[in-house]
Amino acid sequence: MASLRYHFAILSAKATKLALRVLGRGATTLPGKVAVKIDPKLLSKLCEGRDCVTITGTNGKTTTTHMITDIFRNCGYTVVTNVSGANLLSGVTTSMIFGLKDMKKAKKEGKKVICVLETDEAAYGKIACQIRPKVSVVTNLFRDQLDRFGELAHTRELIAKGLDTCEADILLNSDDSLVSELFKGREGRTIFYGLSEESMHYNNVTYPDKSGVLPASSDAEYCTGCKTKYTYTARSFGHLGAFACEKCGKKRQDPRFFVKYDLAKNPSDEGYELSLCDSGNAEVREKRVKLPIPGMHNFYNSISAVAACVRMGEKIGDKEGLSFEKCASALEHVEAAFGRMEKISIGDKKICVLLVKNPVGLDRALSFVAGASDAEGIYMLLNSNIADGKDVSWIWDVDFESKEFPEKVYVSGDRYGDMMLRIVYSGVDRSRIVAKPMEECAELLDQAIQASTPGKCLYILPNYTSMLALRSILVKRYHLKDFWK
Amino acid sequence: MDNSEIELRICHMYPDLLNLYGDRGNVLSLIRRASLRGIKVKMVPVSIGDDFDEKDFDIVFLGGGQDAEQNVIRKDFVEVKGPKVQSAIENGMVFLCICGGYQMLGKYYQEHDGTKIDCLGAIDVYTVGEDVRYIQDTIYEADFLKEEGVKDSGMLYGFENHSGRTYLGPSVKPMAKVIEGAGNNGKDGFEGAIFNNVYCTYSHGSFLPKNPRMTDHLIRLALKRRYGEGYELPKLDTESEDFARAALLRYKEKGNTAP
Repeated sequence: MASLRYHFAILSAKATKLALRVLGRGATTLPGKVAVKIDPKLLSKLCEGRDCVTITGTNGKTTTTHMITDIFRNCGYTVVTNVSGANLLSGVTTSMIFGLKDMKKAKKEGKKVICVLETDEAAYGKIACQIRPKVSVVTNLFRDQLDRFGELAHTRELIAKGLDTCEADILLNSDDSLVSELFKGREGRTIFYGLSEESMHYNNVTYPDKSGVLPASSDAEYCTGCKTKYTYTARSFGHLGAFACEKCGKKRQDPRFFVKYDLAKNPSDEGYELSLCDSGNAEVREKRVKLPIPGMHNFYNSISAVAACVRMGEKIGDKEGLSFEKCASALEHVEAAFGRMEKISIGDKKICVLLVKNPVGLDRALSFVAGASDAEGIYMLLNSNIADGKDVSWIWDVDFESKEFPEKVYVSGDRYGDMMLRIVYSGVDRSRIVAKPMEECAELLDQAIQASTPGKCLYILPNYTSMLALRSILVKRYHLKDFWK
Repeated sequence: MDNSEIELRICHMYPDLLNLYGDRGNVLSLIRRASLRGIKVKMVPVSIGDDFDEKDFDIVFLGGGQDAEQNVIRKDFVEVKGPKVQSAIENGMVFLCICGGYQMLGKYYQEHDGTKIDCLGAIDVYTVGEDVRYIQDTIYEADFLKEEGVKDSGMLYGFENHSGRTYLGPSVKPMAKVIEGAGNNGKDGFEGAIFNNVYCTYSHGSFLPKNPRMTDHLIRLALKRRYGEGYELPKLDTESEDFARAALLRYKEKGNTAP
């Protein structure tokens, strides 16, 4: 029997949600926060006996969580998952509490339940022991708001701590030297995913990343063990690639799950085709899929999502229902989360929002826009609230210089001056840029949408709090349904 | 002198390791404001194991890194390149050093537990690590940048992020007066250090893009040193940079203004 404390905690969460709703506010974290105050072990109790997948790392958490959720749903499972961003103890707990109803219903209908939980990389060390995931995905490690997270080595320690407090099978990015190192001491339960070496961008002759005046600031050029510079036979982006340390022998491990794609094609194109592969059986299985969310970084998100679902199937005895082929096919029906490359129609005009929070994310987004054939305008917003990181100097770590900007450039956010200057310093003529302070960001959006040509797309790249502002502007001014909640 | 014959040779030290907080923007600034004047720019990355010869360069940029990265370069910087860097500094080579680079030119860095890490000792400063980190926008005032009739010309805008407190010896001058922020140590009201042609600061931001007069000052020093005191740096407007400076001041006044 669950304790009185447990029930009281759940009840308080529900009351809190009701109160927030009356006030017209979202209830994604506060109910859980209240409940955990009453029962500190609540999350652990909620996860008892559940089949949980966690997703952590710097970039791609939300998209990967989204993909895993959709795959399970397409395969007939009931899924409990957290709202994007609500990935700390309070948010995860909130999601689990309000998922209880669905879980009960699923039980009645005889459906199986999976909990797919995005967890903040700095919080993972503390909450993994409560969630006790069966499968844990680590996406990648890149510099991100160092004033908030501290150094990368520290973040990795926190993830390692979390992994050691649970018995999850660990899915690691084979191409990220910082992440793949987590397999040491956890060999028996590690599975790698990545890109096949011959598919990496570095080798790409048709769509090479142009090199700018200076290379982008990189995070992991040297072996963490013996401090020797890695050699790369191929690279995808940032420090991801086929690395090897000539001195101590540390190198990229061959992934069980991998992506193959045609180097001659442009990954910015919609409906981009690639092959997902599983080499975990006697013969390599290969499934060609149309990627619903374009961009090369989504290759990693896709393969890790499929890997997580297949592995979960193996663990819970549903190899049939979650076969590699089924999971890979289900991926084709995934839709983008808000701010993750979703194209939105406004009348006969189109916009696409790409959330950018850190250097490598911005690099990927700029590279994507540069390759998009429908890119006519770009609108960049830079804020510096606490949730964004107070420090905006990271925009200088990104290689803007090698990226071609669309014809029309708009800039806003509290740090519109910094962003405008960053773009000018990359070689874009000042006269092409319209830069306005944050208070005028809605009018600037109107202007940018009005100036765009039907059939073309305005790409909007906000950081975190400017994205929230943008979302409410789109709801209020353009009457878009706020279906992202 | 025809500027197409003029060349600026930039040494970017350890760009693959010391590249924190957008310090790359400083090198971009030097390249941009020299190139726009028709000056030929050569940028050479010099990392671990690479030879450093002061004859090859007019200006050296040394940024900061995460602890892990700084530990990787320490031996190469202090023991291998150290004597050459020191003699370049004595000979008046122009340096810009930020944060970790600033600390490493000094005598030592004392960690929280009292352990002293030997640094190069090329300039008479030392740093003591403390628990509280200074993380904020900064404004400094530098007299050597003041231009008559140009409002705000002496102001330097940056962003600091450091837990080290740096103290200057008598042979080293502070670079600027603190108007906002903590500066070198949060106590004496000064920021950064100047020794010969070496300029050190805790300012990220990036530092040079929003401070074009500082960029020009460094380029001018470097070229005068190479081409003689008679060399005149051509004029170049600071319109975009001033726009960014004004936007920053506006932000500081109004705070976050999400609608």
